[in-house]
Amino acid sequence: MGNVPTKLDQDGNPIEPVSRPGYPSGNTGSSSTGTSFSGQSTNDGKTRSKRATSLVSTFLNSGSRYRSGSMQDTTYHSPHKKRSTKEKEQMKEQHARNIIVKYDESVDGGFMAPFGSYSYDKLDYDATVVKSLIIQRRLAPFYTPLQDFDPTWSREELLKIVDGLPLHASFDENPEEFEDIPIGDLKKPNFDYLIDKSSSKKEYRNMHSKIFKARLYQKRIYWQERENESFLETKLEVREGKAQNNYLPSNDLKYDLYSNGSECPICFLYFPEPMNYSKCCQQPICTECFVQIKRAEPHFPHEEVDPTKPIQNDNEKDPNLLTTEPSNCPYCATAEFAVVYTPPKNRKVGIQGIPPATYKSVNEPSETNDKDETTTAKNPNNVVSSDAIRPDWENKLNKERIRLARRSANATAIHVSNQLIDPDYASTSNDTTISSSRKTTITTSRHGSNTASRGSRQRSRQSIQDLENEMIQEAIRLSLEDEQQQNKSLKNKSPKKK
Amino acid sequence: MASLPKRIIKETERLVTDPVPGITAEPHDDNLRYFKVTIEGPAGSPYENGLFHLELYLPDDYPMEAPKVRFLTKIYHPNIDRLGRICLDILKTNWSPALQIRTVLLSVQALLASPNPNDPLANDVAEDWIKNETGAKAKAKEWTSLYAKKE
Repeated sequence: MGNVPTKLDQDGNPIEPVSRPGYPSGNTGSSSTGTSFSGQSTNDGKTRSKRATSLVSTFLNSGSRYRSGSMQDTTYHSPHKKRSTKEKEQMKEQHARNIIVKYDESVDGGFMAPFGSYSYDKLDYDATVVKSLIIQRRLAPFYTPLQDFDPTWSREELLKIVDGLPLHASFDENPEEFEDIPIGDLKKPNFDYLIDKSSSKKEYRNMHSKIFKARLYQKRIYWQERENESFLETKLEVREGKAQNNYLPSNDLKYDLYSNGSECPICFLYFPEPMNYSKCCQQPICTECFVQIKRAEPHFPHEEVDPTKPIQNDNEKDPNLLTTEPSNCPYCATAEFAVVYTPPKNRKVGIQGIPPATYKSVNEPSETNDKDETTTAKNPNNVVSSDAIRPDWENKLNKERIRLARRSANATAIHVSNQLIDPDYASTSNDTTISSSRKTTITTSRHGSNTASRGSRQRSRQSIQDLENEMIQEAIRLSLEDEQQQNKSLKNKSPKKK
Repeated sequence: MASLPKRIIKETERLVTDPVPGITAEPHDDNLRYFKVTIEGPAGSPYENGLFHLELYLPDDYPMEAPKVRFLTKIYHPNIDRLGRICLDILKTNWSPALQIRTVLLSVQALLASPNPNDPLANDVAEDWIKNETGAKAKAKEWTSLYAKKE
């Protein structure tokens, strides 16, 4: 996907690579999660048990896991790495910048970012992928929609309406969600001073993430409004003859775009043709609706149950059964929704085309719009699947599986330890929890946790010291296994990824 | 979202200009996302001659999220529970943004015509339905005349 022009590249990555020293360092050195440290494990028994202790403490303070774990994880790049809060925030901010509509970044009369028909927190598609698909003319650009269209409008009437279109839909400036959340000075990157110093770690994290969200929301409004203003000013200057601007569309372009459009069957808004068409049933869909369509959240398969039997609780199900299916076509429910886009032949303007201001109508408007279905169907390059614009779906599924496995393992472990451990040795119950939680995380079967409980019943007679050591060793072994399995599954899957 | 999306406005208009036979849906004055709905029991079903009141709500993420639909009228049906909640695939996992208020209500009407006791929401009703279909249907008919009378 290397065809992104330089302007995008510059705008696209204003954030420099994360610098190590400035990192918030909660734990030092040995703070790694089970999945990450095996990469550097040694055979030295002492190192092992030392690391294992920190492993145990990592699990005990599972809250701080993310921040501490990331320090080491980021040193080598596995797709399963845990990211630090700061990195995640930078990625979110980067994404927010990527979905700003800019009038001087256009393709064939449309833009690189959505108009704003859907709420901001639903714009979780991969903006970089979508931008490059638009530039490659494999997906329709994000056109500014018309609320209505009347075929009896004259050219002048239509042009007047199109000229009045904003770059982006209006914002809800004070959404309920962010009421009462301080945002401080948006220009200053640090906002820790807004958080009550006496708050607990958990409260601090909660508040931090709320403030970050509220700030990002406002920043995005600010960034978009800056673009809106410069768009308006330029339009005004050009109209008054004070300036020339190559990025503003010519009247011919505006007319050709909007005189020949159709209504998207999902948002009911009117868009220029050509639109994207579903691969299976050739129904139109605008790009803004297309990027909304995604896999369902990970869930257990839905079965028809016998009402005479008791229902199995989701908590008791094997987390590995969690699944997501590629989204179906919204129109005909064919599996693995994908769209086909045939770019207009006579309208290559904007990025990798002629300046929008210099566009002149060609006399055969029918040709701009013909959909040559025979060639598109044969050319797999024109097909964009719904999964392609959210390549991280698999990661999300795995994360959810691990999260669920941990939760159910914890529940099992607490249950088991309550039954088995002598209340005098209360301190050990925590360790048991950890050890068997690792067990169930990996085996994730009932069988696995059963053997674990039988094992600990025998062990409960041994001295506590031995028990702890054993469990630590077991935790190491299992986390190594876990890591190996993840690597394996990665290797198996990576060739499929493009 | 502060303003009402164009789609909801257009759907509401089209429901008025081109109504579905046997179904009415009117938005509430205070909240245009909230609809008062009535569905006539399909002919040939135990619900025939009944008029069922429902409520339909379009969540913020509609049409990417399914409308929330609930029976207000008491009904004896294996896929509808005591609280009026409906077990219908298109209201859950099989929702598609290309579906509309109109198509949803048609599906609910179709569910009345063909109950599916193997995918129940009201377990006791479903059990009854499987073990003694004639009896269950008689009860459904009785409930219809008791609670879903046309005024």
